[in-house]
Order: sequence, then structure tokens, then C-alpha cells
Amino acid sequence: MSLSEHATSAMDAPRDTVLTVQEASVRYGATTVLKDLSLSLNRGEFVCVIGPSGSGKTTLLRLLAGLLTPVSGSVDFRGQPHRAPSRDIAIVFQDYTNALLPWRDAEGNVSLALEAAGVPRAERRDQIHALLRTVGLVGSEGKFPAEMSGGMQQRLQIARCLAQKPDVLLMDEPFGALDAMTRQKLQDELLGIVAESQVTAFFVTHDLEEAIYLGDRIIALEPNPGRVSQIFDVPLPKPRNQLTTREMPEFLRLRRQLFDFIERYEQ
Amino acid sequence: MTALKGLVLPIGLLIVWQIAAMATGMQSDTLAAPDGILVALVNGLTSAPFWVDTGDTLAAGGMGLALGFSVGAGAGILFALVPPVSRILRVTVELLRPLPSIAIVPIALLIFGFGYQLEVAIVAFATCFPVLVLTESAVRQVEPRLSEVARALGLTAWARITKIVLPAVLPRLFVALRLAAGIALIVAITVEIAANPIGLGSRLLRAASSLRPEDMFATLFWIAFLGWALNWGMLRLQSWLFPAMSRSER
Amino acid sequence: MTLFHRSLWFLASLALLVGLIWGWQILADARVLPRAFFPGPDLTWRALKRGVANGSLLSDTLTTLRRMALGWALASLIGVALGAFVGTSAWARVWIAPMFEALRPLPASAIAPVAMLFLGLTDTMILTLIAFGALWPMLLTTVHGFSNIHIRRREVATSLGLSRSAFITKIALPGALPDIMGGLRLGLTIALILVVVGEMVTVQGGLGARILLAARAFNAPEIFAGIAVLGVIGLLTNAVLSLVETYALRWQRR
Repeated sequence: MSLSEHATSAMDAPRDTVLTVQEASVRYGATTVLKDLSLSLNRGEFVCVIGPSGSGKTTLLRLLAGLLTPVSGSVDFRGQPHRAPSRDIAIVFQDYTNALLPWRDAEGNVSLALEAAGVPRAERRDQIHALLRTVGLVGSEGKFPAEMSGGMQQRLQIARCLAQKPDVLLMDEPFGALDAMTRQKLQDELLGIVAESQVTAFFVTHDLEEAIYLGDRIIALEPNPGRVSQIFDVPLPKPRNQLTTREMPEFLRLRRQLFDFIERYEQ
Repeated sequence: MTALKGLVLPIGLLIVWQIAAMATGMQSDTLAAPDGILVALVNGLTSAPFWVDTGDTLAAGGMGLALGFSVGAGAGILFALVPPVSRILRVTVELLRPLPSIAIVPIALLIFGFGYQLEVAIVAFATCFPVLVLTESAVRQVEPRLSEVARALGLTAWARITKIVLPAVLPRLFVALRLAAGIALIVAITVEIAANPIGLGSRLLRAASSLRPEDMFATLFWIAFLGWALNWGMLRLQSWLFPAMSRSER
Repeated sequence: MTLFHRSLWFLASLALLVGLIWGWQILADARVLPRAFFPGPDLTWRALKRGVANGSLLSDTLTTLRRMALGWALASLIGVALGAFVGTSAWARVWIAPMFEALRPLPASAIAPVAMLFLGLTDTMILTLIAFGALWPMLLTTVHGFSNIHIRRREVATSLGLSRSAFITKIALPGALPDIMGGLRLGLTIALILVVVGEMVTVQGGLGARILLAARAFNAPEIFAGIAVLGVIGLLTNAVLSLVETYALRWQRR
């Protein structure tokens, strides 16, 4: 993986793009879920996506994942047309219970990604342990998902995604089902992991504060049909801090803006 | 549309079978062509002995089911409401339950001789254990929530059973009945094949041993149809009686 | 309930069973029960000992166990393989699965006369009967297990770039395991019933033939001895399979 510039703030000059969506439309039967949507993800940046329900957030993520193809327009990944899922794009699903294999313990679940990539058995062990250490699951190697808390299971899913050594990490409301304390803790850990691995992160959420806290950029979608409404830059310094960052005037200003935006669609 | 697609393969197989039989001019003591089987089936369905055999099987199976279900459901309710009874009988029940019902045919034969009683006894034995297990767990799962209501209302034990427990477990009791009905038919036919010289099972065996493959296959298809119709009918009845239950279960 | 309480109840329950058997003995001794039908535990025990001593009971038991195991294993192999194929192929689910579903309520033992006609009164006929009868539950539960793989697991597999064979062995098969275990259990029960039916019909050795011949000779103690052995087989095979299931599905703890 080539080194990219520091993703300190979105104010920097445009960097090389990893994923580009051009004028893409997606339809489910007769309903248009996304219409003429354009978007590009720059290497190493953290992009959050918000929007009212029905604005196609998850559909956009699935489009970027290659799990579905647009009826018109195009998606390019590293300059090539992107038509099928790639090992270089990892997805963290919200429903970790279904995304993990309940019959494999923590090690086994991480191992799945390495097995898929054809990593020889001898090398897997060390990699698995390093990954479990990264997500803070040391001591739980032999536990099955059913024996873990929600936060631990989501950590495990992130570890499996990191095992893919992805260029892009797509996350679909990954912390949506977790309690507030666990959520904050995982937000900080995620920021650390992303900064260290210099992966490009794409994060769908319905929590506006979470979007500001994590993102370098926030893409706001509007519904019927889903399209990009506004893009907000987040000029908050890094590393971020749960107390001080959330008290900064810039944070509060953005929070207000996003709130006003989303309120337009809530009756 | 999808139901029609499911018919393509069986009908196709029948056609291939028929063509193969005609092309080879098959004369066999073991195989029969579909047209011959159809003729045998029509002949059977228009003759009295065929219906006597069908009636024997259904009557013996039905009576055995009634007996086995009553005993099983009664014991299941008792076991669930009075846990000590269930606990003290646990080992005995667990020892008898996995016993293959067909194994007691010889002893029942000594006691009852050939005929209805033998078959009824075996069917009752075979159906009562699954019903017991299903009923006990059904009552167990309903009871704790509602027993407090019953106590708060000051209901007598009898009123508790008739007003609270039974209505609450009725849907699952019906599922037990449905499964037991399937078992009853299987066991009735099995007893007839293994020992009892009445009913469709014995008809099947007679046709096979006197080398009449048309009759044998006709009876086999008729038994298959009965099994299918019984299952279908019980499912329809279930979704009509307990619409909510069927939706969640199937 | 504590472990202590549970063991107490178990002992009490065991004591009741012993009491029941003892009561049976008393009734038999007092000639309350017709001795021709209910010979009493002592005579049954004597028949068992005699059978063990002359080796015939052991060889019959082994014959029955061998047939049961072979037939069941055959049914499991075919059932799981065919079920995996039908369950993973959308095409097969539409065109083939309905026929299997329609055949499910067919009483398996009804095939015995047909098998007898084709294969004669042979060992092969008994095996065929068991394999055919025990096949259906395994086939249908496997189809069910394979066709109910959560869509998320499929997406995980595609995003990880798993091959089709890796998908089947690493995701589909273990995911279907709870269903398959249920089918194996049901198949085992059916196998035990059908081995007895087959042996009764063919009279080619084994416990089924043994108790049938005993019945023809009005030898009730011998029948009870045979039934007791069959009961033990049912109990033990079920217990072993339960252990295997508990281990194989240990991840399902909650």
C-alpha cells in the first residue's frame, strides 16, 4: 500500500481519488433509490454520510461495495470500472450477529478473511493475533460470538475487515446497535485504527454528532430520489477528543447546520 | 406458476417410464408401466375390498391416534402442571420413549392376536410419547406468565386449566396432533406390513408376494396420496383454526 | 434447581423405575398378570443371560447394529449431499424440491414390499429400506438449512472473495449444521424402526427376526429380552448422537 498524505483536514489540496461515482442511478423495480449521484473518495480521508431515512445511504454503500451495479452512470475503483466486490474494499455491517460466523471463535472469524486471501496457515496465526490486539480483543481469542458483548462482536468484525488489508473500509451504521459508552469508545478506537492504517473510510450513520466527530467530510443525502444535497467540510483538529472536540465552537456550528438540514425532512 | 414447475419433473419421469416400458415391450413380475398402474388404481378405487382396506387402515390408525393423543396430552398437561410427577417419572419415560414402537408388535400380538386391537395399541404407544413431550413443553412455556393472572383472579385449579391453560396451548396442541397423525398413519401401515393381515399395508404386501406389480404400485401411490392428503388437510385446518400460529411456524 | 436437587430427583426417579420393575415381578409371581404375555423380570433376565451365554443374542444385536449403522450412514451421505445441491441451487429448489416435499409424508415402511419384490429377502433389501426411509428427513432438513443462509453471510462471502467451494464448506455447511443434526437424529429413529421392520419381513437374522420367531414360538421371555436390547440400542444411539450434537453445536450456547 502506497503512503498517502496525512488526512489532517479536508482543507488540503485535492488528493488522488480511490473511488469515484459518476452520475450513478440505482433502481429497485420501479422506484429510483439513487439518481445521478456523483461522489469521489480521496485516499486516506474519513467520509461520513448522513441523511433522512429513504435517502439511500445504505444503497450508496452497497454501490461502492460492488454489491450492486448502477442502471446508469459508473463507479470507478482505482481508475478501473468497479462491477463486483473486491477484497480491497471491506464492509463492516451493522448487524454483526449475522455478519460473523457463530460457529467460529474470534480467531476463526478473523482467519476466514485470511483463508479467502490464500494466506498460508503458518502465517495466519501471527496476523490474527496482531489484528485482535489492534481491536482490543486480546484474551478473547477462543470465544464464540455468542459469548461476546455487542461491542466485542463489532470489534471482531472490524478485525476481520482489517485482515483483508483493504484500501477502503465501508461501514454501515456499525455502532447503531451499541450503547452510548461502548459507542464512544469504539469511535476513538476506529479513529486510531484508520489513522494508523491510512485506509479510506466511508461511514454511514444516522447520528449527526458521530458524523462530525469522526469525519473529515460529511455528505448529506436528500431523499426521493436519493442524491447528494450538501457536502460539509469538518475543519476540526486531530486527534479528536470526546470532551474537548465536542465543545469546540466549530463542532457546535456544524451540529446546528446538520440539524437544520435533517429537520427539513422530518415532519 | 412455481407449483406447476414442481410438477414437471414427476410427470416427466412418469412419461419416460411409460416410454421405456413400451419401447422394451416390458414383461415383468417386478415392474409395471404407468398405464397399467393407472388401470389397477382405477379398478381398485371402484371395488369394495380396496375401500375396506383403506377404511381398516384409517380406522385403526384413527383410533390409535385418539387413544395415544388423549393419554399423551393428558400426561403432558399433568407433567407440566405438577412438576414432581414429571421428575419422578423422568427415567421411566426416557427409557420407554426411544423404544421403536414396532418392536412391541410381537408382544401385542400375543396379547391381542391379529386385528384392530393390535394395531390400535401400537399406534397409541407410538403417538403418545411425542404428544407428551410437545404438550408438556407447550404448557410449561405458557403457564408461568398466566398463572399469576389466574392466582390474582382467584381461579380454582379446574378453572385455571379450562380457562387459562387450555386456550393458551391449544394451537401448539394442534401442532402435536398434526405430527401425531402423520406418525399414526406411518405406524398403522408399518404394523400391517410387519404382522397384521388387514388394511392397505397388508394389501401392499399381498400384491408384492403374489407378483402383481400393477396392484402393488397402485396401492403404494394410493398410500402416498393418503399421507400427502392427511398432511395437507391438517395444515389447512391449522391455518384456518389458528391463523397466527401457522404464519409464524411455517 | 441446584445440581444436588436434580441428582436427588434423578435417584428418586430411578428408584421408581426399580419399584415398577419389582412390582411387575410381584404381580408376575402372584399370577395376576397372565404369565404367557408378561413373564416377569426374572424370566426376561434369564432369557437375556441365556442369549448372551450361547452367543446368539450378541450376534443378532451386532447384525442389527451393523445394518442400522450402514443404512443410516448411506442415507446421511446421500441426504446431505443431495440436500446441499438442491439447497444451494435456485434452479433445483424450483424444479426438484417440490417433488421431495410431496414424497415426505409417504410412510417409509410402505416401500418394504416393493424393495422385497426387487431385491428379495436379502440383507441388501433391509439396507435399501433403511437408507430410503431415513433419507427424507436428512434431505429435507439439509435443503432447509442450506436455503436459509442469511443474506448477510452471502455478502460477507462475496466481499471476502470466497470461492464457491469455500463458501459451501466454510459458510453454508456449518450454518446448516443445526438443521442437519436434527435430520440425523430423526433419521436414526427411523433407521431403528425400519431395521426391525426389515428383519421381521425378511427374517434374515437380527433382533427383529429374533423377536418375531420368539412370538411364533409363544416364547414371551425371549420377546421381552429382545425388546429390552432394542430399547437399550435406541437409548444409547440417541445419547451418543446428543453428545456429538452438543459438541458440534457448542457455539450455539445461548
